[in-house]
Amino acid sequence: MNTANTDIAPTSDVDYHVDDPLVQGNPTFHEITELVSYHTEKKTPLAWWGAFGIASGLLMVLLVMVAYLFWNGIGVWGLNNPVGWGFAIVNFVFWVGIGHAGTLISAILFLFRQKWRTAINRSAEAMTLFAVMCALIFPTIHVGRIWAIYWTLPYPNQMAMWPQFKSPLLWDVFAVSVYFMVSIMFWYVGLIPDLATLRDRATRKLRQKVLGVMAMGWTGANRHWRNYEKAYLLLAALATPLVLSVHSVVSFDFAVSIVPGWHTTIFPPYFVAGAIFSGFAMVMTLMIVARKVFGLQNIITVNHLEKMNLIILLTGSMVGFAYITEFFIAWYSGVLYEQYAFSNRAFGPYAWAYWIMMSCNLLFPQFFWFKRLRRSVPFMFVISILVNVGMWFERFVIVVISLHRDYLPSAWDYYSPTFVDILTLLGSFGLFFTMFLLFLRFFPMVAVAEVKAILPQSDPHFYDHSGDGQLVDHDLAVSGGEASGERAEIN
Amino acid sequence: MSNLIKQRNPIAWLLDPVEPTADQADASYRFDWSPTAWLLPIGLGTAALVVSAVGWATEAQQFFFSYLVGWIFCVSLALGGLFFVLIQHLTQARWSVVVRRIPEALIWSFPVLAILGIPLLFGLHDLYHWTHADLFDPASPSYDAVIAAKESYLNIPFFLGRAAFYFLLWSTISYKLYTLSIRQDVDGDPQIPALQRKTSAWGLVLVSITTAFSGFDFLMSLDPHWFSTIFGVYFFAGSFMSIMAFTALVAMILQKAGMLQGTVTTEHYQDLGKFLFGFVVFWAYIAFSQYMLIWYANMPEETLFYRHRLENGWETYSAVLLIAHFLIPFIVLISRSAKRFIPVLGFMCVWMLVMHWFDFFWLAMPVLHEHPSFHLLDLSTAVGLFGIVSGTVLYRLSRHSLVPEKDPNLGKSLAFTNS
Repeated sequence: MNTANTDIAPTSDVDYHVDDPLVQGNPTFHEITELVSYHTEKKTPLAWWGAFGIASGLLMVLLVMVAYLFWNGIGVWGLNNPVGWGFAIVNFVFWVGIGHAGTLISAILFLFRQKWRTAINRSAEAMTLFAVMCALIFPTIHVGRIWAIYWTLPYPNQMAMWPQFKSPLLWDVFAVSVYFMVSIMFWYVGLIPDLATLRDRATRKLRQKVLGVMAMGWTGANRHWRNYEKAYLLLAALATPLVLSVHSVVSFDFAVSIVPGWHTTIFPPYFVAGAIFSGFAMVMTLMIVARKVFGLQNIITVNHLEKMNLIILLTGSMVGFAYITEFFIAWYSGVLYEQYAFSNRAFGPYAWAYWIMMSCNLLFPQFFWFKRLRRSVPFMFVISILVNVGMWFERFVIVVISLHRDYLPSAWDYYSPTFVDILTLLGSFGLFFTMFLLFLRFFPMVAVAEVKAILPQSDPHFYDHSGDGQLVDHDLAVSGGEASGERAEIN
Repeated sequence: MSNLIKQRNPIAWLLDPVEPTADQADASYRFDWSPTAWLLPIGLGTAALVVSAVGWATEAQQFFFSYLVGWIFCVSLALGGLFFVLIQHLTQARWSVVVRRIPEALIWSFPVLAILGIPLLFGLHDLYHWTHADLFDPASPSYDAVIAAKESYLNIPFFLGRAAFYFLLWSTISYKLYTLSIRQDVDGDPQIPALQRKTSAWGLVLVSITTAFSGFDFLMSLDPHWFSTIFGVYFFAGSFMSIMAFTALVAMILQKAGMLQGTVTTEHYQDLGKFLFGFVVFWAYIAFSQYMLIWYANMPEETLFYRHRLENGWETYSAVLLIAHFLIPFIVLISRSAKRFIPVLGFMCVWMLVMHWFDFFWLAMPVLHEHPSFHLLDLSTAVGLFGIVSGTVLYRLSRHSLVPEKDPNLGKSLAFTNS
């Protein structure tokens, strides 16, 4: 390998650029283990029970509403003749969108060598799984004849009946379930070393046994790490196209149709950008609370939050530019229905929803151009919630506004949700937070092993200057070299 | 700006806005070839354009379409370079510092490209159907209500105004990024990385918007009835793909000539190859999204675009685009060893640049020809324009250090490995 470590000829005169350490407060390896593991080992705090009580109460609301729906049929929703898709599809797309950040952080940022991801990837991936669970509920209960939901799966049966392969709704079944499976594998593979850590710390027999099974015999051997890192890289490569494909397929639900405002070719990339946008906002909301409650401010630092805010700014602007492009092309197309669909969005009976969407998604993230604001925790907390409100309304705008007035004015109608719609949406948050609280209680919420790997101490050259007697050839220690690169040279 | 002498001669300014700094460069980063090497591609390019001028006289319409394809190829390559540099600064990328000077040298092509675009002004009527006044006149038999409704956007003064604005903006941002980077070579001012990031932040926003709209204007409006919201993304995807191929290729050529030894390594080529692969796939994703949605909805005003490209022999060209712009590079570039083996990667870089040109050929030519036809002018204009642009790139590379040698991340870039 012809790198500069051995080849002296190319030089760099200046190296005044020193990075902030990703983990602050200079903790030791053990301190990080303690910091994270402790929360799964301590006695369950009262506050957790309080939060869990509220969340599971909302989950009960969801169950009751679903039972009520199954008993009565989807007539209890606010759906009417032109608006055949209402809250359920809005909520579905909303939750799937949120479920994009986890895999983006764990797969794409991994491939882009963004080491700061290690602080947030575990909980973001967990959040992804729970968001996808919430999402899957809605199309499932929307079918009406819930007992026939398994017909969406293609399997040979005595009725010789197959699902409609031409329907993007079926593609959704595949896309979202594949995404869910790959995400859960990715998440679990990442968990194994940490589960082993918890197992080794466990004091009770049962806990030890359960964690022992879950850690799959991990001993931290060199060979284990080798396989682990290979598997992680492969899963990242497999998950990366999934980040793009899932929401693209979701966008096909709308874009393959000829409904004005739905049929536009920019939908796939624009939905993906929006999904990442909302997913990061949700990670932000959760992490701001979690880092405070669990005292993780040194691991999930303001620098991390700032980077996430920059991604929110970027994706928010992409989404905003897509809104403007859609508007422009609707005019440019010369198609009257398209033109009407868009002017009806901005100035029709649902203009309020449109302007909530515009301000929350395009306008408010622009505050993050200011460094002071994107490093202010209270400010970003507010923005992250506003972004999620805005992204929920984006789906509302797309689904409801486009449907309520299409080609036939005599069929126009106004859609309003019923209490069942609203309580089901609320209840889905109950499911989400119940799952997330269980995760926080029982799993290491930060990828301990990965965070340790980005500590300065894990750089083989760290002790060169501290003189602890490690044998390192000083000639190889080029200052400013990438840690991983140097390691490869020495080994 | 300190220690950096502005070019006074306006013609030379177009080629390089600053006086040479190469003599202050580290010996290992100097340009080794004869200082007049750049004249070779420029000469070849000019010769090809002179030959093409014969075509202008004899087959004006064919000439303008061929010229547009070659020109937009160069513009999109330069835009890809601009995106690349902007993103490297914004993300404070380390791996790419050793190759960044190549796209940096490319982006100052915008002024030259603007001048090279002048011949197209004489062919607006041949190229753009919407420039015909009778379409907008209700009394005329060729009155077209759909196009007439777009008159406030599709009219010559506004079109030219927009084109001027795009080039002014791209040149301004390129000027800032290019001169900041050259200045850093000389004085190593520690403020420069922050300035580059700052320019890149607002630059990225404006370049994104103008790239999309330039795609709408220069290419999509060739068929003024047709529209597609994703078209700007499609234009971007190809541009970003092509700059990876161009950068890797120029680095290989320089290394072949003995320059940048030990500076650009297999590791950097692998990363360029990864991006090339990634954007081959991204291009395919965008192209598929556009095609699938239009095919599925089957609305006449949209399917027209693909209908032209799927009949009378054009279907072969469309199949070639699918196979050669996506399937083959996908299969070849997916493996790690292909990206690390210079002959294969180099071949694929040439291949992808040709395919990028072919993509524009496929976009533009069916507007002119009902049946596919390949004209010598397609080749001569493309070679001519690309020759001139690469000659000016070589000129700028020969006058300055071949890497941003005082970039604070250069050390990290030199030591970079894909562990």
